[in-house]
Amino acid sequence: MALLAAIALSTFVFTADPKGDLAIASVKVYPAKARRYPNKQQEFAFVNFNVSADLTPLFNWNTKQLFLYLEAEYTNAKGVKNDVVVWDRIVRRKEDAVLNVVGKNKYMFRELSSTFKQVPPAHYSLKYNVMPYVGVLTYGEAARTLEPVAFPLAQESVS
Amino acid sequence: MFSDEIKTLRRLGFRHLLLQVLNFASVIASGLMIWKGLGLITNTESPIVVVLSGSMEPAFYRGDLLFLTNPPTERYHTGDITVYKVPGGDIPIVHRVLETHDVIAKKSKSSSNGDIELAPVQNQLLLTKGDNNAVDDIELYQGLDWLERRHIVGKVRGFLPYIGYVTIAMNDFPQLKYALLGGLGLLALIQRE
Repeated sequence: MALLAAIALSTFVFTADPKGDLAIASVKVYPAKARRYPNKQQEFAFVNFNVSADLTPLFNWNTKQLFLYLEAEYTNAKGVKNDVVVWDRIVRRKEDAVLNVVGKNKYMFRELSSTFKQVPPAHYSLKYNVMPYVGVLTYGEAARTLEPVAFPLAQESVS
Repeated sequence: MFSDEIKTLRRLGFRHLLLQVLNFASVIASGLMIWKGLGLITNTESPIVVVLSGSMEPAFYRGDLLFLTNPPTERYHTGDITVYKVPGGDIPIVHRVLETHDVIAKKSKSSSNGDIELAPVQNQLLLTKGDNNAVDDIELYQGLDWLERRHIVGKVRGFLPYIGYVTIAMNDFPQLKYALLGGLGLLALIQRE
């Protein structure tokens, strides 16, 4: 028990804060049917991104895994603050912690008002959650877009 | 085979037996006090939770112990692991937050002497997903579209592996539970300091 407590406390010594790069290659918006309500039209955003980051410093002897996630942050015209995770990845080994990902969103990205019209540009950020073998869960941010990325108008069909 | 024990019980007398019962009761009471005290500090109904399913693997496995807090002023972020209980669902679920939407709900309440405008209430709509599940949790929300703040029991802060497996084992094999309880009770009655 004392050993477990010592291990848990020792992780407070490791305060790595690695930074990486995040670029949004493209954002596209398409109308589609909502998943739960087949008669409702809803717009979905599709994000392509490039991420490169070296997160190996986050691995210490009490790191079980990293949970990485890419989220979009924006406040819409009504003043509703939105954080939406569009992509995530679990990293379980130190060797896999060097990221070089060219990817697209894994989860549906939709707006509460069902349209991205007049939604201000969104910031995107790569965040991580360090999950220990025993002890406290910690969170951090590894990368962020410098400029907010605007949502384009909805395209009629997939081109 | 219990003749020895019965003999010692006879010798110690009724008062001693009562004292031991009292001792046992105080142990249980202090346990309950610690539990409820922790709940008060952390603002959750259950500050310690045992993982019951594999939907958060490889982060949490069955039997892992989680420590929760639920600060009333703090908003939840994406990536936080929450424990939630929707009305109609019988067990609390441990899943990670995928989307947050901080809506401002304006509630106005009319009374006999006119309309009283209440301060805008901050509410958060959340969507969660288990790390090991392919899709988000809408199917688990019992008809709700979003999880709201009041459904949430707490946010996972700390983690202790496997310790909680005892409770799962006791649920799976009820005989073990009774054997353990009986054994503890007998020990408490018989032992003398």
